[in-house]
Amino acid sequence: MSLQTPRVLPAHLHAFHATPANPHTPTTVRLLGTVTALRGDTATITCGTNGDVTLLLKPDSHLQMGRLVEVVGKVVDVEGGLGVRVLASFDWGSPADCDYKIYEHVVNATHRFKGVFYEAVE
Amino acid sequence: MDNYGYGSSYGGGGGGGGGFMAGETNSPAGGKSADGNNTTLRPITIKQALDATLPYPEADYQIDGAGVGSICFVGQVRNVSTQSTNITYRIDDGTGEIEVKQWVDSATADSMDTDDAKAAAGKNQVVNNGYAKVFGKLKTFGNKRFVGSHCVRPVTNINELHYHMLEVVAVHLFFTRGPVGGTGGTAGGAGGADATMGGVDDYSASKGLPAMSPVARRVYNLLKTEPQSNEGLHAQLIAAKLSLPMPDVARAGDELLTAGVIFSTVDEQTWAILEY
Repeated sequence: MSLQTPRVLPAHLHAFHATPANPHTPTTVRLLGTVTALRGDTATITCGTNGDVTLLLKPDSHLQMGRLVEVVGKVVDVEGGLGVRVLASFDWGSPADCDYKIYEHVVNATHRFKGVFYEAVE
Repeated sequence: MDNYGYGSSYGGGGGGGGGFMAGETNSPAGGKSADGNNTTLRPITIKQALDATLPYPEADYQIDGAGVGSICFVGQVRNVSTQSTNITYRIDDGTGEIEVKQWVDSATADSMDTDDAKAAAGKNQVVNNGYAKVFGKLKTFGNKRFVGSHCVRPVTNINELHYHMLEVVAVHLFFTRGPVGGTGGTAGGAGGADATMGGVDDYSASKGLPAMSPVARRVYNLLKTEPQSNEGLHAQLIAAKLSLPMPDVARAGDELLTAGVIFSTVDEQTWAILEY
């Protein structure tokens, strides 16, 4: 079984949150956003115009303010909603070099044509 | 967000379009192109590579019912191990993980010693956890699937990654639903199954065509547009007009016959459109 990490937007997090009522297989997701706050072991990324997500960092995740990062992590409860426990992050450089609209289309296509991207439950 | 040509015209797949996926029509004789004649380069995800089927040993792999020659994909490098004859990468693109082997060309390995080549190599280095684009062919060794690659290069612009993903979807849709704007390409996902059962009159309105392979669609379009007697057209004539090999036309004919959109007239190889 290989690890599948579907690309998502903040609004999709609930669908990948493991709860007894929702035993979805992939609970590990990929998010893309700009780092807008760093608070020691947590951080906030802003996903274009799709809202913010709170990240629970690893001691060795080195995020920098204002950079575009791709985060692989598990969807978890944080105070005030859902957040992501970071497993790995990748720095894509300046947010100005990325057309976030294209990413939104990618996410949309990913879930519309699941079979190409991840094993969907049921 | 919603104005994908495909998404809207196919009704989001509710009811999953019955009819035929290209894949179902492939008899063993159909995929006989393992002789390296297939020089296509198909963008895929690693999940598609892992799900690709092998109709019979030594055949080309098939994805969405179409034989694949070369493939390319974009993913993150999880591990690099350099051996004397090859470099092995583990690539993860979020849909799966696969091993990529790049054979070291001794000629280029030698030229690495020069300063120029070194500088170029340094710039072109694929790094651990960085993104890379891989070009190669699907291979099997024992029970393990891997990619034999001739080119692995770093990806530094995120738009290239996103572009690749969208291209993957576009190509997937091309093979499962036919080209954009083909006649009857708007076969409603929901309509297909029912129409096959009884809604024949839907066809004359040319909107209820079931899902079919691109070749079948071309044959159907030719039968529809080509001037002909009421005996229809012979398969050989169709093959000549579309410059397609005979087996492909025969397969497309079978597909259309089974779908009930054409019928054979004077002999089994002469077909006409079924409509009133």
